[in-house]
Amino acid sequence: MKNNNDIILKDINKSYQKGDNTVVVLDHFNLTINSGEFVALMGPSGLGKSTLLHLMGGLDQPTSGEMVIGAQRIDNLKEAQFTKWRAENIGFVFQSHHLLPVLSAQGNVELPLALTPLNKKQRQEHASYALELVGMSDRSKHYPKELSGGQEQRVAIARAIVSDPNILLCDEPTGNLDRKTANEILAILAQLNRDFGKTIVMVTHDNKAAEYATRVINLESYMLEQNKCTVGEN
Amino acid sequence: MDFFILVWRNSFRKKIRFWLTCISVMVAFFLFSMLSGVNHALTVSVSDSNQYRLITSHKISLTQSLAINTQQKVAALAGVKQVSYASWFGGYFQNEKNQLAVTAVGHENYFTLFPEYLIPKQQLAQWQKTRTGIVIGQAIADKYGWKIGDQVPLSSSIWMNKSGSFNWSFTVAAIYKSKKQSAENNKIFFQHAYFDQGRAYAQNSVSWLSTEIKAQANVDSVIQSIDRLFAHTNSPTRTTTEQVFIKEQAQQFIDMAMVINLVVIAVFFTLLLIVCNTMIQTIRERSNESAMMKALGFSSMTLIKSIYFESLLLLGLGAGIGSLTAGILITFISQRFNDFLPGISLTPSHYITVFVLVNSAAAFCSAFPALAIKRIVISETLGGKS
Repeated sequence: MKNNNDIILKDINKSYQKGDNTVVVLDHFNLTINSGEFVALMGPSGLGKSTLLHLMGGLDQPTSGEMVIGAQRIDNLKEAQFTKWRAENIGFVFQSHHLLPVLSAQGNVELPLALTPLNKKQRQEHASYALELVGMSDRSKHYPKELSGGQEQRVAIARAIVSDPNILLCDEPTGNLDRKTANEILAILAQLNRDFGKTIVMVTHDNKAAEYATRVINLESYMLEQNKCTVGEN
Repeated sequence: MDFFILVWRNSFRKKIRFWLTCISVMVAFFLFSMLSGVNHALTVSVSDSNQYRLITSHKISLTQSLAINTQQKVAALAGVKQVSYASWFGGYFQNEKNQLAVTAVGHENYFTLFPEYLIPKQQLAQWQKTRTGIVIGQAIADKYGWKIGDQVPLSSSIWMNKSGSFNWSFTVAAIYKSKKQSAENNKIFFQHAYFDQGRAYAQNSVSWLSTEIKAQANVDSVIQSIDRLFAHTNSPTRTTTEQVFIKEQAQQFIDMAMVINLVVIAVFFTLLLIVCNTMIQTIRERSNESAMMKALGFSSMTLIKSIYFESLLLLGLGAGIGSLTAGILITFISQRFNDFLPGISLTPSHYITVFVLVNSAAAFCSAFPALAIKRIVISETLGGKS
């Protein structure tokens, strides 16, 4: 039975124009991530890991190819449709937390809920629950400048999950953290995957971080393998 | 988290920058409001004046007098309903700092020509019978505490009396209220007969004639017939409608107002650039946050609205404080210096203009940040390609 949260990338091409040169990042790329998987995307810099993540999250569009996430084809969505789709389906965690300094931890977590029909009380309840899940209930009134790097990243995770998206896309979420804090953050992500069935795609350079994933994709070898298959098929 | 709370907190994120910009907005709207008040004072007389009244003065200037019998000759012309006359006294009370608008007028019919001065019938009749009587405005009565029957000494900076003094004695005979803002309640009138008999020179002359024409009469042809009548005499005349006369008198101030207007336009233009620059800087500093909000699902339009309301708050606060300060100052001026600038005030239309200006400026200042928001590429702003 097909699960609605599968991520299917078919024959994706992505290239950038840099001056007179065209830089090809993804060339006839195919990937399927099943619903409920925690996938770590690894590989050397410049290979297209973040680009892949941005394509899955609707932050960027492929030059060509087909992207189906859940039951919906997203590669041909307009900007406004993408925006709405992102709000409903995707949670992002970036290396930098990008919290708004003028809002408390609670206010930052409530922010995505401003796009939902929830009333103020419901928004507060949802945000409190999300903060509780990441162990930040006691810091809900604190502003970002009053929090440590690890605490800020926890709040960023709470913000990513508060509207209950099916998919979490994490771009080096522990890149700025020490080992101990990084482990705590990774444990939270693993718990979200295990206990709440969130599909997680995480870009990382850290082998230790990858150990928390249910599947590790080394993009370099994965692409080589794909090319071989393509050549073989030809 | 409510949208407007976010706008409010973002606005005060850089407090010093916000208040410095706000003060510049405040100064610009303070200047604009003050000018608007002065403009109102200069133009209100023109708009209030009667188009069926003519003013006839000496062709050379208002300082040259006309013979008093000119009145009868004009009154005899076709299309003329009634004629009165007046002479400028140029008075003050006790010392020259207390300048007063004192005019000697034909007591027989002057107030029939000018019904906007509301004088109780009994008081008017009493004044017409009292040779030294004066009709004073309510504001003058309030200011100096003068009552009917009070003896009031007034001095003239122009006219000496037959005893060789510039001091003249008057009796308060009537107090008027004006239904027209231009006339205000700050004028003094006395009998021209007393003036003519009392002054040491220039007897039987007047400064100007006021003529009311019949409703069906042609204004231009009456004007031409008056001036033609005196064209070849020692005192050729120049007749205009009251509107034109007041406009010409105010012309020097109105021209000045135009210069000030241009200065204010320049100030506004500079102000727009300052606020625009502030908003552009603001959005540049927050490009990461804007990209993150877009990633969370906020549309570009929501972010543009947020920046518009921030501009509106900045401009609205500055304009509000500036206009309010000017309003208070203008009220003070109108109470203390009413003689100098009667009619100085801020009208409701001024506040509507301020409202429109603030909203337009907010929209203008949000235009460039809006473009920047539209152009944000989330993937490039939030993370490099790897």
